[in-house]
Amino acid sequence: MIRHLFTLMWNRKRANGLLVLEIFLAFVVLFAVGSTGVYLWSNYRAPLGFEYEHVWEIDMNPGNQPRAEQYATLQRVLARLRATPGVVTASRSVDNTPFAFSNNTTEYTAGANNPKVYGDIYDAGPELRDVLGLRLVAGRWFDRRDEAAGHRRPIIITELAQAKLFPGGESALGKAIHSTSEGDKDKEYEVVGVTGPYRAGGELSEPQPGYFSYVSPQDTARALFDLLVRVQPGSGAALEKRLQDDIRTTSGGWASSIVSLPEQRLTQLKLLLTLPIVLGVVCVFLLVNVALGLFGVLWLNINQRRSELGVRRALGASGAAISGQVLGEILVLTTFGLVLGLVVAAQFPLLGVLDVKPGVYLAAMGLAAVGLYALAAGCALYPSQLAARIQPAVALREE
Amino acid sequence: MQPSPINSPLTAPAGATPPVIRLANIEKVYQTKTIETIALSEVNLSIARGEFVSVMGPSGCGKSTLLSLMGLLDEPSSGTIEIDGRPVTSYSDKELAGLRNHKIGFVFQSYHLINDLSVRDNVELPLLYRPGVSGAERRKRALAALDQVGLNARTNHFPAQLSGGQRQRVAIARALAGRPEIILADEPTGNLDSVMGEEIMDLLLGLNRDQGTTLVMVTHDEQQALKTQRLIRFFDGRQVA
Repeated sequence: MIRHLFTLMWNRKRANGLLVLEIFLAFVVLFAVGSTGVYLWSNYRAPLGFEYEHVWEIDMNPGNQPRAEQYATLQRVLARLRATPGVVTASRSVDNTPFAFSNNTTEYTAGANNPKVYGDIYDAGPELRDVLGLRLVAGRWFDRRDEAAGHRRPIIITELAQAKLFPGGESALGKAIHSTSEGDKDKEYEVVGVTGPYRAGGELSEPQPGYFSYVSPQDTARALFDLLVRVQPGSGAALEKRLQDDIRTTSGGWASSIVSLPEQRLTQLKLLLTLPIVLGVVCVFLLVNVALGLFGVLWLNINQRRSELGVRRALGASGAAISGQVLGEILVLTTFGLVLGLVVAAQFPLLGVLDVKPGVYLAAMGLAAVGLYALAAGCALYPSQLAARIQPAVALREE
Repeated sequence: MQPSPINSPLTAPAGATPPVIRLANIEKVYQTKTIETIALSEVNLSIARGEFVSVMGPSGCGKSTLLSLMGLLDEPSSGTIEIDGRPVTSYSDKELAGLRNHKIGFVFQSYHLINDLSVRDNVELPLLYRPGVSGAERRKRALAALDQVGLNARTNHFPAQLSGGQRQRVAIARALAGRPEIILADEPTGNLDSVMGEEIMDLLLGLNRDQGTTLVMVTHDEQQALKTQRLIRFFDGRQVA
């Protein structure tokens, strides 16, 4: 029967051409939305690698204060904040804090024969690990030992960075890496620790290799105006106001804004999900249109083929067999449209479009195929029942 | 009115085997909200195995309705239809379809071939609904049936590429492919010229004579009807001769 259906649909390819085109376009839309969905979902399911609850980001503005005074002011502010009840710990940072829509990237390599690995770089002080609850998998976090001057600067990398920098599976601990950027080429960094994943870009960002560059407490140039502060659970507006007041009074007028990382996360999620949701809604409308089109064409088709269906009944087809045939025909047409769609979709993983993992595209292809078959079967269900109810004696008399 | 006995002068004489088709007290009424049309009334008829019966009558007298009922394509409003001595009244849709598929072949005036299928695929159709028949077996039997009607050179043609006579031969081959005991032919020569009509008639007579196939043929052609073993006449839904 399957061969018969393929033969019949192939012989009717001209009549069904537009239907196949419609199915093909529906597949493309489903594939596009499916790829986005699978990409975001797979990112969402990956661990963030840090604890954002009870962590606040403080963004400070020194105003017109002379640069030479800013480091000393920051030290006073930090000392005051750390002494404030409700504050657990505080760390200097730059503006690529978690969920902040800001990232700094760079490229490192372990040598001429090793790959160059692009990743996010974070300026981190000794306190950042405690503030964000970062998990070390090997080595250590930054501490006093890193204050000693040496020809190699300390660096901590994520597991993903380790796996990419040293593809053989060897440990990065104690190994030297260096930046490939022109201004930083001569500096060597020694890997002193390896952490689990760290995805400051948030749940929807793709996991990237990460590098933590050491910011000494004595560093007077970097990470002066952003702070990450872990507070006691239950801390709220009162503490927020107190911190802002303390910053202003201690610094002699620095303005500050405080936002909690959970709030920042929600804001980011809303922004990042807006486009996929709009795409999804458009996709739903398109699919409803496709479904109505398929349904209408099938209904018309059944009415035009009453005589043929009557003959099939006369030759021994039961009502269920006729119903199955109508369903089978649309599934065969769907297969034709799907094959065309898969040929197009297969180019994405083959060509590495948008640098997305092939698995994402393959999963999207699978989802789009299943969705399309379900859509086609759903649209054919009622027309197939109508076809099954055709009275052969009546249908044969009509011609 | 009392129902007529089955072995009336209008029916086949009783034989040792039960009639292959038996209609008892058949009535068929088409009813709409406003009109009731009696298509058949008090039909009592037996067709013996191996018989070639023709049915004649003016248009609208119920000939095609009779054929639909015999072919289990429709249900009577009242009365009983028996195939091989078994009443089919309580048969399910699937059982009726199976019975049609195994026992009955149809030949229609307008051929009712599927234009998008090749001659061979058209002929294979009845076997498609018969579980357990392999593709190779279907092909073999379709080719044998086409050979029987003299169309083995046209297996890959499509119906639109054939003449009317050839199309009707394909339709007969399709009926033969399932090796049915009964062939019901509804004006099989109605759309053909006299020469082609004669060819088709000879083919049907040959099937009856050589293979013992039971044939019931609706026709308007008196000459062709006279070539069959028995002629039944209908008028206004009733059997009159």
